[in-house]
Amino acid sequence: MMDTPTSPPLWELRDIKKSFYGTQALKGVSFTARRGEIHALLGENGSGKSTLIKCLAGVHQPDSGEMLLNGRPVTFHHPMEARAHGVATIFQEFSLVPTLTVAENIFLGRQPRRSTRLIDWDTMRVETARVLQPLEIQLDPEAIVKNLSVAEQQLVEIAKAISLESTLLIMDEPTAALGLAETERLLRLIKRLAAQGKAVVYISHRLDEVFEVADIVTVLKDGNRIATRPIHELKMGDVVKMMVGVDIEQHYPKIHHTNPTPCLEVEGLSTANGVHDVSFTINAGEVFGLGGMVGSGRTEIARALFGLDRWTAGKVRLFGREVQFKSPAEAINNGVGLIPENRKADGLFFNFEAPRNITISRLAEMLRGPFLNPMREMQAGQQYVSKLSITPTALEKSVKFLSGGNQQKVVIARWLFSQARLLILDEPTQGIDVGAKLDVYHVINELTGLGISILLISSDYPELLAMSDRVAVVRDGHILHIAEAGRLNEYELLAIASGAETGSQPPTAAG
Amino acid sequence: MNGVAKLFRSQVIGPLLALLLAVVIVSLTTNRFMTGQNLSNVMLQVSSVAIAAIGATLVILGGGIDLSSGAIVALTACVGAILIKTNGLPVWLGIALLLLLGAGLGFVNGFLSTYGRIPSFIVTLATMGVIRGLAFLITGGTPIMSVSKDLEPLFYGSFLGLPLPLIYVIVLYVLTFIFLRYTIAGRAIYAVGGNESAARLSGVRVNQTRLVTFVLAGTMSALAGVLTMARLNSGSPNYGVGTELQAIAAAVIGGASLAGGHGNIISTLFGALTVAVVQNGLNLNIVPAAWQDITLGAIIVLAVGLDMWRASISQRTSKIFDLFVPRRSPPKPASGERMQPER
Repeated sequence: MMDTPTSPPLWELRDIKKSFYGTQALKGVSFTARRGEIHALLGENGSGKSTLIKCLAGVHQPDSGEMLLNGRPVTFHHPMEARAHGVATIFQEFSLVPTLTVAENIFLGRQPRRSTRLIDWDTMRVETARVLQPLEIQLDPEAIVKNLSVAEQQLVEIAKAISLESTLLIMDEPTAALGLAETERLLRLIKRLAAQGKAVVYISHRLDEVFEVADIVTVLKDGNRIATRPIHELKMGDVVKMMVGVDIEQHYPKIHHTNPTPCLEVEGLSTANGVHDVSFTINAGEVFGLGGMVGSGRTEIARALFGLDRWTAGKVRLFGREVQFKSPAEAINNGVGLIPENRKADGLFFNFEAPRNITISRLAEMLRGPFLNPMREMQAGQQYVSKLSITPTALEKSVKFLSGGNQQKVVIARWLFSQARLLILDEPTQGIDVGAKLDVYHVINELTGLGISILLISSDYPELLAMSDRVAVVRDGHILHIAEAGRLNEYELLAIASGAETGSQPPTAAG
Repeated sequence: MNGVAKLFRSQVIGPLLALLLAVVIVSLTTNRFMTGQNLSNVMLQVSSVAIAAIGATLVILGGGIDLSSGAIVALTACVGAILIKTNGLPVWLGIALLLLLGAGLGFVNGFLSTYGRIPSFIVTLATMGVIRGLAFLITGGTPIMSVSKDLEPLFYGSFLGLPLPLIYVIVLYVLTFIFLRYTIAGRAIYAVGGNESAARLSGVRVNQTRLVTFVLAGTMSALAGVLTMARLNSGSPNYGVGTELQAIAAAVIGGASLAGGHGNIISTLFGALTVAVVQNGLNLNIVPAAWQDITLGAIIVLAVGLDMWRASISQRTSKIFDLFVPRRSPPKPASGERMQPER
């Protein structure tokens, strides 16, 4: 599959800018898609990849810049308009109706009709076979989608996109849920589609795949285009370097508080939910970081340690005592706390103000005799609201009305109040502004200063490396590498996590 | 207490206004409403529904729904009539067993909808049919009359000049108020109804909490059944028809959100009174029974509709409350000073 620099661009994006709530997600990015070309779009989480493709897919409207289709400028106000112009997007979340058949899904909303206005099932079956056949997809058009494997559903999704007569196919992490063989099959299909003259934009965290399939690579970082180069001019290492870039020196107020008493010792832990033979130790006052791609199994490790998933093997000791958590309540009673990634869905009670949000994890403390004492709850609320500098309106108003940073601090306050000794932070700074991030870092220092250990999950690698004492790199539910945070750089972390490099050194023990 | 005053300002005022509105409208349509005799009748009639409404509120707060309360009223009245009249059990023992029966039926509802993971709407729709069917089965469809002369005093007696049903209602509402506001189990109900996932991650035992709401609801429905049995000194499988609808209406008019987590028991009492006043008004105006059902249905739709636009409405009603009780919160600048973190 050679790139054909002479062929005119199908799509040309010029100097696209887009900001959200004051954050500039795209700072003037240009991008070109040609027929027959597979163009990989790379960058770390938050680099602007998804914003860019969402502009192309009509989900977002650029603030400025031009989008040219065959040289003519177009603007989309709705994803349907993008689709009408031949743009088919396959997002990570499927858009299939699980209870319908393959054929019904492919022709959803545009079923062929007979003259009687009733659905022409025969034509639909024939047409479905006609769509599937050139893709060499062997699927029964009558199969119910929910009975198919994830990989097969992915194929249906692609078939649906193709059948819309699209000329540009955008695929966002299409292999995230696939196994090796299925990935191979999908990559072959993508190549075939390009050979048939489709333009393909391919987004993946897995560099090995990108190098197998792509013709040309564009790297984004912090909303800027770093480079667009034919793939044969590049090595994997170059790409990783471009993705990591040279960071503007950011100040992370890290204070080391590790002391040599082990807090949590995990030995060979496995769960039915994708954690395989995980071993590590966290010392008192230590921040232990889990690095890895989205979907690498970091969250699953956290869930296991919080009693949310059943353990199938392994031993866990907390302060030297062997424990087995079958529920979050048991984990909490043993001094473990978890701050979930999605604080709105999993963390906050919008029907409560801050005090009742904070005291919920240890209500027994608020009892006087058999009864809760609202005055004491209010005092506890006030204490933590001022300690974490949460806005005082939180005392009276539902936490629904607080900013993201204040909401996050309310959840942190809950675990300070419950006197957790091991706190699991899953993406604690995602979606909050810089000031609130700094507050979270200070809280991390304060917590470790109190001897609390922290298991930190973050996709912001500079943050992860700066705020952790040691970092483990996770891939496919397994820890590949453990290193002192100072001895690992972003490049190595990304290289191991993306599979560009295996964790060659054996996992090192605690320092 | 400040917290309770705040509760009244933000949540109780709306249902109270609904009740006053119903009272005004009914008094305008008939001059037989505002008589001592009629009002005390309303009070007696409302007791069963008001008690069933406690159960409905608890379940709704936890994010579920209980459609079986009317059927439980019928079955407890029938079983009670058989135990006391046919088997000659002492009244107190019969009642104790009936409460256990109600708790057991609530347990079945709760168990199936939590651990069994069947939506409570479906579970209680099914048990509603099963339980009323059982009531028909054990009585052969004929009411059991004149159960015991010891029963009627439990309903028609009075204590310190107050009719006993009024005392039952007040005591149960006070207990429920304390339970919801001042116990860990009560708080857990609000937490589970507010955000199930967050509750689980905060160590609240979600299934257990929901189960408790159903067991309490079953017990309350059984109590309502006992009161009905005492009032009519009989047991019939046709008792309690529509009680579940009235009880849910009371909770919803009282501002309980069917999504769970929002609502309070005092408002439910006003909701129950509103339902009773409306029904009484329709009775006094000799409106046919069919129209009464239609009216109740319309009121439920209206109340749920109001629930959807609750935010804006409660803002307005709290302004009305301010006209009568001025806020005591400190002026803005004072709270602004506290806001500054020490940096």
